[in-house]
Amino acid sequence: MNLYKKEILRIKDDCYSNQWQLDTVIGLRNYINNNFKENLNLDLFSRIRFVSKYHLLRLFKRYYGQTPNQYLIDKRIEKAKVYIKNGLSISEACYEVGFESLSSFSTLFKRKTGFSPRAYQKSNFR
Amino acid sequence: MKIKLVSIPVDNQDKALEFYTEKLNFVKKIDIPVGDGNRWLTLVAGEEQDGPELLLEPSPKDFEPARTYQKALFDAGLPYTQFDVADVEKEYERLTKLGVVFSVKPMEMGTSKLAVFDDTCGNHIQIVEIL
Repeated sequence: MNLYKKEILRIKDDCYSNQWQLDTVIGLRNYINNNFKENLNLDLFSRIRFVSKYHLLRLFKRYYGQTPNQYLIDKRIEKAKVYIKNGLSISEACYEVGFESLSSFSTLFKRKTGFSPRAYQKSNFR
Repeated sequence: MKIKLVSIPVDNQDKALEFYTEKLNFVKKIDIPVGDGNRWLTLVAGEEQDGPELLLEPSPKDFEPARTYQKALFDAGLPYTQFDVADVEKEYERLTKLGVVFSVKPMEMGTSKLAVFDDTCGNHIQIVEIL
């Protein structure tokens, strides 16, 4: 067995031995992937996964390195880029991915991509 | 500042170009001769052609420390880099049918599934699916 395989197995044992926790966060991430257009929040996540919201927040961050809300925002921005690329207007893309405010969408879009939605649209999507 | 390009060392650019385009479905983007039989040779992922470029860097051919480092990584089974895929199992099946040799078969590790293959140009490459 080479060094890398040994390391993978060591990390798996040391960091990923709690299958219940893994199932919980993977289930939540899948839920966000399938429902990112909806009005999602931590209370809802907590009810769906039967875990206290602060514990769920900590678990998700521990395994994915970001909070559920940060992941949701990334997901929405990633999808908005696709929608804009496919010809939707900026406001259509904004509401289609689940944002309720165009200004917060624009602010987050710029923070995540480095472009405003308008500049992104004009930049030939780079 | 932006990340537009990442590089991997390859022991033979022609062979690497063939492997990365024919097996991994990358697409050649830039190919400029730079003397001594070397090229500034970049590829993009077929599924994301406006994404970052991958430079196939011929350093192991002419620069001994690069060759030593690449070989040490390879002998330890350590991937030089990794690529994202939507489904590790499917990609493993597809690449295996094309003759690609895997040193790590698909396995779950925490919130990801991974596998590692030999790119035939001196590197192990990891494919990853986030679960």
